Amino acid sequence: MTPLLEVQNLTKSYPVGRKGLFGKRMMQVLRDVSLSVHPGEVLGLVGESGSGKSTIGRAVLRLIGADSGTIRFEGQDLSAISSTDLRRLRKDMQIIFQDPYASLDPRKTIRAVLTEALDTHKLHLGTARAERLIGLMEMVGLNPTFLDRRPHEFSGGQRQRIGIARALAVEPKFIVCDEAVSALDVSIQAQVLNLLADLRAKTGISLLFISHDLSVVRYISDRVMVLYLGKVMEVGPADQIHFDPEHPYTAALISAEPSLKHTSQRIRLTGEIPSPLTPPSGCVFRTRCPYALPACAETVPPLRDAGQGRMKACIRDDIL
Amino acid sequence: MTAIPVRATRKTRLLPGFPRCMILPTLLLAALILIPFAAPLITGADPVQIAVRDRLAPPSFAHWLGQDEFGRDRLARVLYGGQVSLTVAFVATTLACIVGTLFGLIGAYFRGPFEFLTTRLSDVVLCFPPILLALLVVTLFGPGAGTLVAVLSVLYFPSFARIAFSEALRVSSLDFVEASRALGTPSHRIVLGTILPNIAGPVSVQYSLTAAAAITIESGLSFLGLGVVPPAPSWGQMIRGARQFMSQDPLGILIPCVALTLTIYAINFFCDRLRDTLDPKGALGGGKDETSVPVAAGMVPADETADVVASVRDLRLDLMRPGGPVNVIEDVSLTLRANQCTALVGESGSGKSLTSLALMGLLPGAVRQARGALRLRRKSGEMVDLGALNAKELEGLRGNDVAMIFQEPMTSLNPIHKVGAQMVEAILSHRAMSPSDARARAISLLELVGINEPARRFDGYPHEMSGGMRQRVMIAMALTCEPRLLIADEPTTALDVTIQAEIIELLQRLRTEYANGLSLLFISHNLGIVAKIADRVAVMYSGQVVEEGPAAQVLNDPHHPYTVALLESMPSSHEDLHSARGDRLRAISGTPPLLDARPSGCTFHNRCPIAVSSCADARPPLFVSADGDRQVRCFRAPEAGLEAAR
Amino acid sequence: MLEFLLRRLAAAIVMLLVVGTIIFSLLVIVPGDPAELLLSTGGGSATQEAIQNLRNEMGLDKPILAQYFGFLANTAQFDFGTSIVDGSSIADNIALRLPRTLEIIAVGAILALLLAIPAGTLAGLRGGGRFDVIASAVNALLTSIPGFVVGTLFIYFFAQVLGVLPAGGYVAFAADPAQHLQMLILPATTVALHLATIIFRMTRASVLEMRGHDWVRTATAKGLRRSLVVRHHILRNALGPVITVAGLQLGILLGSTVLIEFVYNWPGLSGMLVTAVEQRDYPTVRAIILTVAAIFIGINLMIDILYSLLDPRVRLQ
Repeated sequence: MTPLLEVQNLTKSYPVGRKGLFGKRMMQVLRDVSLSVHPGEVLGLVGESGSGKSTIGRAVLRLIGADSGTIRFEGQDLSAISSTDLRRLRKDMQIIFQDPYASLDPRKTIRAVLTEALDTHKLHLGTARAERLIGLMEMVGLNPTFLDRRPHEFSGGQRQRIGIARALAVEPKFIVCDEAVSALDVSIQAQVLNLLADLRAKTGISLLFISHDLSVVRYISDRVMVLYLGKVMEVGPADQIHFDPEHPYTAALISAEPSLKHTSQRIRLTGEIPSPLTPPSGCVFRTRCPYALPACAETVPPLRDAGQGRMKACIRDDIL
Repeated sequence: MTAIPVRATRKTRLLPGFPRCMILPTLLLAALILIPFAAPLITGADPVQIAVRDRLAPPSFAHWLGQDEFGRDRLARVLYGGQVSLTVAFVATTLACIVGTLFGLIGAYFRGPFEFLTTRLSDVVLCFPPILLALLVVTLFGPGAGTLVAVLSVLYFPSFARIAFSEALRVSSLDFVEASRALGTPSHRIVLGTILPNIAGPVSVQYSLTAAAAITIESGLSFLGLGVVPPAPSWGQMIRGARQFMSQDPLGILIPCVALTLTIYAINFFCDRLRDTLDPKGALGGGKDETSVPVAAGMVPADETADVVASVRDLRLDLMRPGGPVNVIEDVSLTLRANQCTALVGESGSGKSLTSLALMGLLPGAVRQARGALRLRRKSGEMVDLGALNAKELEGLRGNDVAMIFQEPMTSLNPIHKVGAQMVEAILSHRAMSPSDARARAISLLELVGINEPARRFDGYPHEMSGGMRQRVMIAMALTCEPRLLIADEPTTALDVTIQAEIIELLQRLRTEYANGLSLLFISHNLGIVAKIADRVAVMYSGQVVEEGPAAQVLNDPHHPYTVALLESMPSSHEDLHSARGDRLRAISGTPPLLDARPSGCTFHNRCPIAVSSCADARPPLFVSADGDRQVRCFRAPEAGLEAAR
Repeated sequence: MLEFLLRRLAAAIVMLLVVGTIIFSLLVIVPGDPAELLLSTGGGSATQEAIQNLRNEMGLDKPILAQYFGFLANTAQFDFGTSIVDGSSIADNIALRLPRTLEIIAVGAILALLLAIPAGTLAGLRGGGRFDVIASAVNALLTSIPGFVVGTLFIYFFAQVLGVLPAGGYVAFAADPAQHLQMLILPATTVALHLATIIFRMTRASVLEMRGHDWVRTATAKGLRRSLVVRHHILRNALGPVITVAGLQLGILLGSTVLIEFVYNWPGLSGMLVTAVEQRDYPTVRAIILTVAAIFIGINLMIDILYSLLDPRVRLQ
């Protein structure tokens, strides 16, 4: 099966501050990231702050440019197509944001927000429009009579539903969910997660689900990718990654996650996450890894096959 | 034509109801702008017709404001002079506004060279005091209204460009602009349809400010005789002319001065109100330094044994709003015991933070304690009632007997003081100690909380540290005076999971290792963390404690349907469920009620899966378990074997 | 810190160069012959000979680049040339008058800071209280009165009606200190009043904003005395934005003092400037504006350095 989205060797850095009087300091946020999302699949992206997970979400939609690497959507190279074609292609790929307050224009009614989406791609014109708007509101569990209200009249959870309706309006094949449930209270978070789960069951949509919450990602994703300092640490089926991590970072992350059950002993990491300005040589995780060997400082460990559809970027097999 | 941005603002944001505080300034401004242009209707006199015989004539029926040093009608001169001043100012401001805003928008949206031009241009123009630049141009081109309009618009367009640029930059980084781009909306529609309406507010404020400044400069130049060319009237010129005769004829000088001042005042007044309306945050809200004082001493509870370090009894807090007080905390009681960690759990807006702030005597100014008692045991062993203490005694208590750490380590430390200085200042305010001893103590505390190279960090600034380190510093700072009770308000919410685990471990370790043991009041929305650290749990919903008891019992065998729902909706408690297999989380419907719209009866009844019709009638009391160790605020609690208290 | 200083200094020098270039190029972009333009006061045209003389004198006959570098080189040595009206040295004239202008600005600025910072702090701390409401209302009214109007009204009340202070004029300090100070009172107060309204506003806003920060709550939670919280955690932080605005306003004041000096007949730069503008003495006007712009850039450089001492984060960026 050909992937819906295929990303190869994505690299991205940002200029930060200055070096000396004139030089610019570059902060590398993505190092050689490759991933693929198949039709109907949910890929979870997990990582702590500075892991570059949000940057990936925006780069695959070409909302920000990458330094190098290719992004193919349905076989088309996104970096090679014209801006007109890219705009047309945007109908198929959408995004849902974290902050339910910043993601809606305070001056626009819900109708205006949804209409902008439909107008841009000339969808459901004329009399079909009203019906479509009502259909969208019902799909995300909002009362259609709310269409003429402005964002400030809604709660955080309701706003998030509006954001989902905006993304669904153009009937995309693929949505990036950038921490889409992280800002919500736990009882509301469950409602929105159920909504997303229903949508994928009904429409067969593909999701790139970005979150720092491992349990949420495990529940919603088919496969999970773990990132650390802009590098892929481990990829594999969600349940396997969660219950049987092979990479020491994944294991540490999962063992640190607070849970109601008294789980096994926590894997202690030493120190803080290094600054992306001065990343460690070799394996970026080695400075905090309890199993690091001298060899870890020398070469960057490749992402290699670990069997059962899993990949990991660690030179050791004798741990965990 | 003259007030495009202002009108645009109203259309988009202020339309539904024109804000009441804008009515007076708008009317005043409109009147002062329109009256000069209605001059032919008000007076038939010619502003430039000289009548030498009537020099400095006092007000008469034919000349309501008298005549000036050339016998010209003063009323006509003030009105027609206003026309000139206002036209020059508003035409120049409007030109500057349109050009500058376009520059700023283009600079912010397309970046690159546009950005450089926009930002640097205003830096350069700012180097020239406006009136001097105007004089320079007047030297070259000679005085006149046309020169003034040209020079003022050149002078002011960079400030519009700068405001529009920085605002547009802020707005275009917001998610909703990103969403428009992701939808494929064309650039020009994003800039004009989404960004422009959202920067209209600050730009219109700048418009009013600039118009006022332009009038000042125009009249100033005319006053120097370098602005509007005589005999055309202008306010500046009238003041210049009347100056020589001020002792004989004070009226001559007062009239244009008042006209000028009133006009500028009206514009400023309008501008101030506009700013307040657009940015209510800038208007007065209680600062975080402002605290309301607890009410007078409450009654002493009977069950206060020696191991109680703090107790909250029947606390009721009201939020003071213009429409009247809104009850936000209702009948909250808590007992904190020595060496015990009590967790206060709930979703945002449940009132858990307010309850903890009340125990510190740190309630925001807008919150009033309406009822109840807050009691705290001092290190001397004596139990004090916070309501009976004055502000000075509260200062002696905070940080000394009870300390607190907050959610946002990035903003909780003052960025301009060194970390060590902030710790030493806390020590010295409670202990008589030499600064060098205080320093040694602070460094040893930094070491205790696991900071590497504590002596170097002592002399460092907060911005040189990561979030996890700053939270450690906050903890060290809280421990400086060996408090008995530490209140931690969501101390790990802003941190990454691996760092969060370390901070929780640190707090655990301190509870046993530190001094004579530390009691913790731990506020969190995360039940997983609570399970790790807490001995007792109190669950709050909509300003009330709905369930309270030993942590293990509450989390493993919850009695209140809200606690059940909280646990059920956590994905981490359902490791067997997966969305792809068609499993769904057991979520409860609805959202927590708004503070001013709490339902009657049980506040949870409209979301409760087991509610019965009587739940809507009365607030449920606390039902107590047989051993007295658990309490549940639910009418259906007796089914689990609990009894109504007292 | 050294790198920060160097960077700021370099930026200031670049800014000076840009300012000089702009002032120079104004003469180039003027349509027609600048010499003819400058001599055409009141519509009459000057003789061909006079125009040629002026062209020589201002070096307008040389190629543009030569003019430009000559102008920069002379300016850098504080050689502004001579007045085209009376042939006197412009630099000498500025050196004589600039200190008088700086005197009223300095005295005015000190008065303004002494008045506005405490008042603004008090108003900010009691945001919405009675003092704040009254002080802010008075301030809004005062802001709306242009400086030359204040000056004119002051003369009317204090000199004409009450007769307690001189209406204007100047006596050197060395000649008669008492009278010098007496004549300084009104102009300095007028400058101070204008500056104070702006500083008051900024201090109040800044204090109000700082009060809302988390670290203020932290400081209170530590049990610090209220006065210490205000001084260390509100006022210290609020001062940065205030001095930035004050610096900017000082620069603008260098311009608006022209009007105030004119009102009070104070023989600072203003008299020289107004006469020069009236007589279209371009080299003099240009020299004065360059001087003021240079002072402004200097003030801002000092403010930047002061700010970086107040707030360590500034040094990073």
